[in-house]
Amino acid sequence: MKDYIRVCDVEKYYGNASNVTKAIDRVSFTVAQGEFVGVMGASGSGKTTLLNMLSTIDRVTAGHIWYGDTDIAEMKENALAKFRKENLGFVFQDYNLLDTLTIEENIILAMTLHKAGKKEIRKRCDEMLRLLRIEDIRDQFPYQVSGGQKQRCACARALINRPRLLLADEPTGALDSKSSQTLLETFTDMNQKMQATILMVTHDAFSASYCSRILFLKDGRIFHELIRGSKSRRDFLNEILDVLALTGGEGSDDR
Amino acid sequence: MIGKLAFRNVRRSARDYLVYFLTMTFVTALMFAFNSLIFTKDIEEMFEVAGLMMALIGLATFFIVLIVAWLINYMVRFMLEKRSREFGIYLLIGMKKKEIARLYQRENMLLGTCAFLMGMVLGVLLQQIILAILYSMIRIKYDLHMEFNQNCILMTAGCYAGCYLLALFRCGRRFKKMNIRDLIEAQKKNEEVRESHEQLKKWLFPVSVGFLALFAAFIFLGGIKGGGQLLFFLVGLVLVIYLFYVGLSAWIVCYVRKRGNAVYRGQNLFLLRQFSSKLKTMSFTMGTLTALFTIAFLGCTVSMMFSDYQNKLLDVKFPFDVQINSGDVEDDFADEIQLIGEEAKILEAFSYHIYANVPEDVLTNMQDSISAGQTDGRNEERRSAGADGYARQPNQVNIWLSTNLKSFGKTYLQEDGSPDIEKIRKDSGGVYCYYDTYMKLSDYNHLRRMLGYSEVLIEDNEYLIHLKERIKNEVDTLSEDIVIEGSRGELKFAGYYTEPFSQDGHNGGDYVVVIPDSQARLLVPYYSEMALDIEGEAPIGLGNLLDDLNSLEKEEEEEGEDTEEERDFAGHRPMRGNTCCGSDTIIVMSPENMVRDNLIPETRYLLSTLIFPCFYVGLVFLCVALTVLSVQQLSDSAKYKFRYSVLRKLGMSRQEIDIVIWKQLVCYYLCPVLLAVVIGGSISVFMSGKFIFYTGIHSVVFYYFFLSFLLFFGIYLLYFITTYVSFRRNTGAEE
Repeated sequence: MKDYIRVCDVEKYYGNASNVTKAIDRVSFTVAQGEFVGVMGASGSGKTTLLNMLSTIDRVTAGHIWYGDTDIAEMKENALAKFRKENLGFVFQDYNLLDTLTIEENIILAMTLHKAGKKEIRKRCDEMLRLLRIEDIRDQFPYQVSGGQKQRCACARALINRPRLLLADEPTGALDSKSSQTLLETFTDMNQKMQATILMVTHDAFSASYCSRILFLKDGRIFHELIRGSKSRRDFLNEILDVLALTGGEGSDDR
Repeated sequence: MIGKLAFRNVRRSARDYLVYFLTMTFVTALMFAFNSLIFTKDIEEMFEVAGLMMALIGLATFFIVLIVAWLINYMVRFMLEKRSREFGIYLLIGMKKKEIARLYQRENMLLGTCAFLMGMVLGVLLQQIILAILYSMIRIKYDLHMEFNQNCILMTAGCYAGCYLLALFRCGRRFKKMNIRDLIEAQKKNEEVRESHEQLKKWLFPVSVGFLALFAAFIFLGGIKGGGQLLFFLVGLVLVIYLFYVGLSAWIVCYVRKRGNAVYRGQNLFLLRQFSSKLKTMSFTMGTLTALFTIAFLGCTVSMMFSDYQNKLLDVKFPFDVQINSGDVEDDFADEIQLIGEEAKILEAFSYHIYANVPEDVLTNMQDSISAGQTDGRNEERRSAGADGYARQPNQVNIWLSTNLKSFGKTYLQEDGSPDIEKIRKDSGGVYCYYDTYMKLSDYNHLRRMLGYSEVLIEDNEYLIHLKERIKNEVDTLSEDIVIEGSRGELKFAGYYTEPFSQDGHNGGDYVVVIPDSQARLLVPYYSEMALDIEGEAPIGLGNLLDDLNSLEKEEEEEGEDTEEERDFAGHRPMRGNTCCGSDTIIVMSPENMVRDNLIPETRYLLSTLIFPCFYVGLVFLCVALTVLSVQQLSDSAKYKFRYSVLRKLGMSRQEIDIVIWKQLVCYYLCPVLLAVVIGGSISVFMSGKFIFYTGIHSVVFYYFFLSFLLFFGIYLLYFITTYVSFRRNTGAEE
């Protein structure tokens, strides 16, 4: 697999001259097409900052982020919006669904912004609803459905435009364990069946165990990397917990 | 500590609800300025009708207090809701509910007082402007001076405090029912879009539109007759104003659900849903706003109509410096001339007669008390030889006008379409005299000279008609239908003249027929007139002095006689029905003694008692409605900020989001206005049409509505821009 996303020496500083916080300190890694990468780390380790920069919501202080041949660190605001629209999909902890739109309309909206035709939108939307098993709640409003369903709707919205990269920020953070499991299985499905490239930020070892590779972040630096390879999920989970125990991170969650 | 907290909170509220704060300031300023119209001493002394201004401003104030109280109440509830989390925290750290209620009330009082004080400062400025306008209207020189009338300040403060008392009346109860969890959670609650029976509700939209169309059709075709229909339409309008929004929202929801084509284009889906959910939760407020806008439109339109009238028609109405009417045909006006001579320098005094074609038998029987009915009966038989119903009657022109002018409608027509002569005779002495009014050519030309018009020459066998310009268009066939007998047969018609000629009862009512002097021998004097030209302006109060003279004469006469009917002038009997005022309506000025320089300010003042309160109501209602509209949007900006951030993550650029914000605000702002424009517009245009028709003013029917619309739009734009700018700032703060 060729390198798809290259993060080169990215730095992000907050604060002013007298008091600088290094949120991200010279981080470099690559993501291949079709990979399911997890980023783990304790609170304040910089994982959300990293995700924000990857997702073009935030800008780097130094360094480069290459999507293929495009360096998003050099792009202007409008070009970034276009890039975001065409290449990225988002799933957040708090769903970020629009409360005035039904489940189906939330998905349609993402496509209408792409100026797709009516026929195509309907076809793709039906397909997506079926794939994520949220067909029977398509006419409900977000407040009427469960968290898991909302998150699957968010996934459908993120994937409907076939993005190059799906960015997930603590997607299971607000879900119960059953819904979390369903959602993570959905992620795996999307990764395997639709060849979606996924970058997921989490501090939950169980969620991370679904990934194919995990980057461990501490104080703005990558200090470890785990690759699942052909290991079973259970073994991989144990391995993750070991790493967390070693660093004294948040490893108590062993569902 | 609580005092400090209250002060801090007020500062924050004033910033967050700046529009509200400014509106309260502006309303105070308006109250003060308009109240000072009541308490201006010069005016009180000058006009007898000053009480009218007081009554009308008082009436306007009543409605304004109600509406402003509604605004305050709305805002108090609104802020309470928005700050529920904060109040929850106060409760959590151990404050008593009573203390919070007191804190909140204190905050509101403080905010109100600040707005009041600032409003008074602005009010003093506004007062100068309004007084300057009024004074220039009634043509009195105005020197800028501060007028701090104690009563005026008291009244303003009273009204303002009244608003607050009304508004805060039930506020305390709200706090009693509070619960910490609800308060803290209230903010997090998402807007719940409840959709039920949308398919049914959606029909309210076409039904409302249909009703409005019906309403418009009815008023333009003059179809609303009787109290029942009026009540039906009034109740219907109120219902439509409220149900329209429920229907519109349901209609949009159904359209989105049906997945119409527009849904798939650009940001339409987002906008439509946003708009419909807002309408759904706000339909009642939207309805109220529409009602306020409509009233504001109507108020401004009425204002514009009357101010246009006084600008355009008033000078035309009184062409002579002084004009005096007397029912006594032998009146020599000696008393009046003497009186005016004492007060001003008379350049010319010209007395003349208005004549009537009184039948001979009536004349010969004048001294006997023959009943009018018999006379008329014989008279009619004798003259029925004429070409048709009108001709050769002593009141042929009156009958013609009574039955042909649109303003009379079918009042004087019998069921078969022939003139109801009995009724016309019975009503004579009001709009028209009993007999037609004639004038001698020499008198006519003399008067024309006095007014600076060119003299008119007609042949000995001709006649002309001088009438009001308003009537001119409707009298195409008048000259063909009437027959005027001269000494050598019928007179020929020589044309219409329409210069301003004081035809509200002085030189005839609406019209006067001018015949050559040689033919006037056939006529008898009907009443006396005198027109005077005086040097400079007539002194203030001259009209009243003349009126006093008249009433003195009358009293003397009445002492000797029993009834007015029997009244005679030094031995000769008065002519029958020799008073009239023409067919003007809405504004009728036909005093016996007309002193132009007294009457114009008086009339202007009278009109301004209508213009100012209407304007006042319109302005306040407009500001209140716009405040609610803009506060609604601004306070939701936190919620919108989240929505826009989602859109940004979906890949919308800043410009695209700006466009969405723009579209959303425009939709939201335009919706209640459009409905108000339709309702207010059709009523305004209808009213203007009637106004133009009855007063004969030269204007287009849309003119007044257009003017008030312009004014409306100016203020509206101001609020819109303010809201748009702060809305963008609030939602784009993340940048």
